[in-house]
Amino acid sequence: MALRAAILRHIRVPVQTAALDRSRSQAWSLCNSVRSMSSHDDHLEKEEVTERVLDVVKSFPKVDPSKVTPDVHFQKDLGLDSLDTVEIVMALEEEFKLEIPDLEADKIVSCPLAIEYIANHPMAG
Amino acid sequence: MSFSYIARRAAQKERVRILYRRALKDTLNWAVHRHLFYQDASDLREKFEANRHVEDLDTIDRMIADAEATYNNFRHPDPYIVPWAPGGSKFTRNPTPPAGIEIIYNYGREDND
Repeated sequence: MALRAAILRHIRVPVQTAALDRSRSQAWSLCNSVRSMSSHDDHLEKEEVTERVLDVVKSFPKVDPSKVTPDVHFQKDLGLDSLDTVEIVMALEEEFKLEIPDLEADKIVSCPLAIEYIANHPMAG
Repeated sequence: MSFSYIARRAAQKERVRILYRRALKDTLNWAVHRHLFYQDASDLREKFEANRHVEDLDTIDRMIADAEATYNNFRHPDPYIVPWAPGGSKFTRNPTPPAGIEIIYNYGREDND
């Protein structure tokens, strides 16, 4: 049982509906671009998210800033360990004023994953 | 090096990561100022690093259980929660109405007094 849980926890299934959702949301964006009653409609652009994520990673003390690119893996490319990854994810949470559930935060192990998660998060600010 | 060993090891690593994450957040909750947090976080990290090279699986399980008990014992009673998250100050609250809309409290009785 524990084995099964451990395996299931490490299997990832790619989500195919993302592209579909995006085209639909663009169709809607004409009438939805200003939501006057919404308190959080300033959605972040992906470029801005990328830039801020890289800034956070670069300012981590154990990281060599020259090695940081948008597609680095924290442990494989930057030579960090798993606890450093936890610290970086927490720094990202503070940067974007997010509250990431523990199990999801545990899956964020590289820059592309972090950028994708934050860019798709409706509350990232 | 059986498969069950690897699976158990992976489960332990995940438990430690999540425990470290929760403990680190709690450290920030307890720290009154940011500069106090840095020292506390560094101490916390040292506590984890001290047992980095423990190999025996049962010992590791016991240590994780002990650490989780300690964490639960010293949890902050009123942790910081991001405003929109469940338990936060803005959770399910209505946004402010747009400018130009005002509430007339004595509607229909404006001329009475």
